[in-house]
Amino acid sequence: MSAGVAPAPVDAPDAARRIEETARRLVEAGDCAPRPARDPVNEPMINNWTEALGDANPAYPGQAPPAMVQVWTMGGLHGRRAADDPLGAMSAVLDEAGFTSVVATDCAQTYARVLRPGERLAIRSRLTGVAGPKRTALGEGWFVTTVSTWTVDDEPVAEMMFRILKFRPPPPPEPPREVPRPQVNRDTAYFWEGTAVGELRIQRCGGCGALRHPPGPMCPRCGATRPGYVVASGRGEVYSFVVHHHPPLPGRRAPFVVALVELEEGVRVLGELRGVEPGAVRVGLPVEVGLDRIDDELVLPAWRPR
Amino acid sequence: MIGLSGAASVVGIGATEFSKDSGRSELRLAAEAVRAALADAGLGPSDVDGLVTFSMDANAEIAVARELGVPRLRFFGQIGYGGGAACATVGHAAMAVATGLADVVVCYRAFNERSGHRFGRMAAGATAAPTSGGIDNGWQYPVGLATPAATVAMFAQRYLHEFGATSEDFGRVAVAMRRHAATNPRAWFHGRPITLAEHQASRWIVEPLHLLDCCQESDGAVAVVVTGTERARDLPHPPAVIAAAAQGSGADQFTMTSYYRDDLTGLPELGVVAAQLWAQAGIGPGDVQVGMLYDHFTPFVLVQLEELGFCGRGEARHLIADGGIELGGVLPVNPHGGQLGEAYIHGMNGLAEGVRQIRGSSVNQVADVRNVVVTAGTGVPTSGLVLTAG
Amino acid sequence: MSRAPAAPPAVGTELPALRLDVTTTFVVSTALATRDFQDVHHDRAAAVARGSQDIFLNILTTTGLVQRCVTDWAGPGAVVRAVSIRLGVPCYAGDELVLGGRVAEVAAGPDGDEVVVGVVGRCSLGDHVTGTVRVVLP
Repeated sequence: MSAGVAPAPVDAPDAARRIEETARRLVEAGDCAPRPARDPVNEPMINNWTEALGDANPAYPGQAPPAMVQVWTMGGLHGRRAADDPLGAMSAVLDEAGFTSVVATDCAQTYARVLRPGERLAIRSRLTGVAGPKRTALGEGWFVTTVSTWTVDDEPVAEMMFRILKFRPPPPPEPPREVPRPQVNRDTAYFWEGTAVGELRIQRCGGCGALRHPPGPMCPRCGATRPGYVVASGRGEVYSFVVHHHPPLPGRRAPFVVALVELEEGVRVLGELRGVEPGAVRVGLPVEVGLDRIDDELVLPAWRPR
Repeated sequence: MIGLSGAASVVGIGATEFSKDSGRSELRLAAEAVRAALADAGLGPSDVDGLVTFSMDANAEIAVARELGVPRLRFFGQIGYGGGAACATVGHAAMAVATGLADVVVCYRAFNERSGHRFGRMAAGATAAPTSGGIDNGWQYPVGLATPAATVAMFAQRYLHEFGATSEDFGRVAVAMRRHAATNPRAWFHGRPITLAEHQASRWIVEPLHLLDCCQESDGAVAVVVTGTERARDLPHPPAVIAAAAQGSGADQFTMTSYYRDDLTGLPELGVVAAQLWAQAGIGPGDVQVGMLYDHFTPFVLVQLEELGFCGRGEARHLIADGGIELGGVLPVNPHGGQLGEAYIHGMNGLAEGVRQIRGSSVNQVADVRNVVVTAGTGVPTSGLVLTAG
Repeated sequence: MSRAPAAPPAVGTELPALRLDVTTTFVVSTALATRDFQDVHHDRAAAVARGSQDIFLNILTTTGLVQRCVTDWAGPGAVVRAVSIRLGVPCYAGDELVLGGRVAEVAAGPDGDEVVVGVVGRCSLGDHVTGTVRVVLP
């Protein structure tokens, strides 16, 4: 499994058509030219294999382990894919369409007979199908299936169906956003604890019931020092707003809108207004709260149109 | 307050050059400006017994006193709330002089605001301080309202909405300031006026503010010398008598983000200042020939004209139309070019220009100046002065 | 531990589990013995750079281990006709792979009993491989 860098997006229907046309052409082309194995089936390589895998079957190395068949025709340390290799051609077109990551999904080998040291194998491959685009857990992708045939002289001795998923890598996760973090103290903790659990809380005086934001420890109306809070409906209107262009600010991509929202409850709260083009924002725009989660510890008040 | 009006005067002004890179320390800028102001006043460091600055200034009074060789200080202090401190430094100095706590007080502001720490950027650590200010900042910085321009833009948007003003009305302020600066050799934008079309075409900083709605950033220092008005009459220049000095903070006041009041179109903290200024000086807006209005961002110049009573609420755009605040207009504002045109020295350069207008020594002198009103930082707890020809 | 050769196995017969310590050495030596030189099977830094947590078993080895699971049980006389696998989660170096088999089909053929064994190989992340092995028992 390897992830590449996604190229610029290609028009999707156009890309799908090109993939399907390439697939049809390659399927029609059939087998590529046979490629001979570097070495004949041989005891030293069988012994290396059984030693590494810990396979003590006494039938080896007099005969080759059947599941070792692909080893004989591996390209090796400096191997290059043959120019007519159908998987190479298909992958190039899928790469171009943005399906740059690959993962093998299925491998089915059948063995017609036992292979013994001294036999010389060759392999040829053909594309048998390309299916997609499909949604997978890894991302949108195409399943590419090839069938390879091993021969000794012209006798087919083994066959392998091999299927890979070529998929579009999911966009890299957004880097953690670094925003200035609010100072939280006894007077303000309820607010930030509220946003963390999805509530927009407004301070409510325990003496006279007055609502107040930003909060403070003593009610300026009645003098009580028993602040509580209510959970706001979250609905309000833009009382004023700005569109920030310059300078760049950490954790935000300009232009962005910050709105001073007057809530139904009558208090005003600042927050970023998201989900609306800056040019479409007006004083009086109806909005509702939509919290902005920075990380596990900080959730900011924010707004979205309603 | 009868005791304060007229008791003290500004007798000396001094400044460094205004630049984008001073090439020297902020303390050196402060010391140079203070020494220049003392020389202008015909005084020396040994006459100084009081120093006042901004709490944002990086140069402690004792450090400036050391550099100047001031032998003793009897009065010193720092005023808070950014540019809102500008006129209050002189107000506190006047109180000290009027009450006999000090004889000669120098007020100063010095910074490398362009080549060093730039206020136009997001203030790092603004939410980190375990203070009421740090808590307050937590409501705006994290959600992306994190620069002075952005905080003013929030007011400006509501002002446009309520009064049907337009960005061009803000632009006329910038055009006026740049016109004034164009004929002021000390101004950074000397010889570089702008048109309204250029204002409109300048890039957005924070909508509804264009680049040319925002003042420049500067390196430099300004100092002014305050002493008793009686002593002032023996000094080289005609005194700029402090006819009124006031500070103001409004209900539910925040620093730059007083967004939770019923009304978002006024500057009630300046209203508090204005009422005191007119009462102390015994004059009204109609008696003022020049306004030195704090212009870090254009929209608040309109609001200041309204809060000071030069026009009604929402009517400033009519006052500034057709050159109303330009030289020759109904109320010339900032003949030096203001912070938009001359330099951003946290309002202290406007204060110095107010003194020049009283003396009759400005390069853009307004005729027959009797009274000048001077304001300080807007959107914050603020201050103001009325200077009168003695 | 081969089965007793006499009687044909019954459907449902469980094969002895094959437990493998998938050490780094095991991953590398099997990759090279199968002539698979892709870096993700021997170069940890390269594997991590490609988004894997470590080097991991290659397909040819997995195929061979599925076969071994059955031939260890079936004995040296058995003839493997087919190995068919579906690949699941990667098996990283440092993990343990446990292969188990169960007889799924038994039919008499010309050369002996034709037996289909279902095989599952599990590692800590889940099913690494599921498949079938078709083998003729003499």
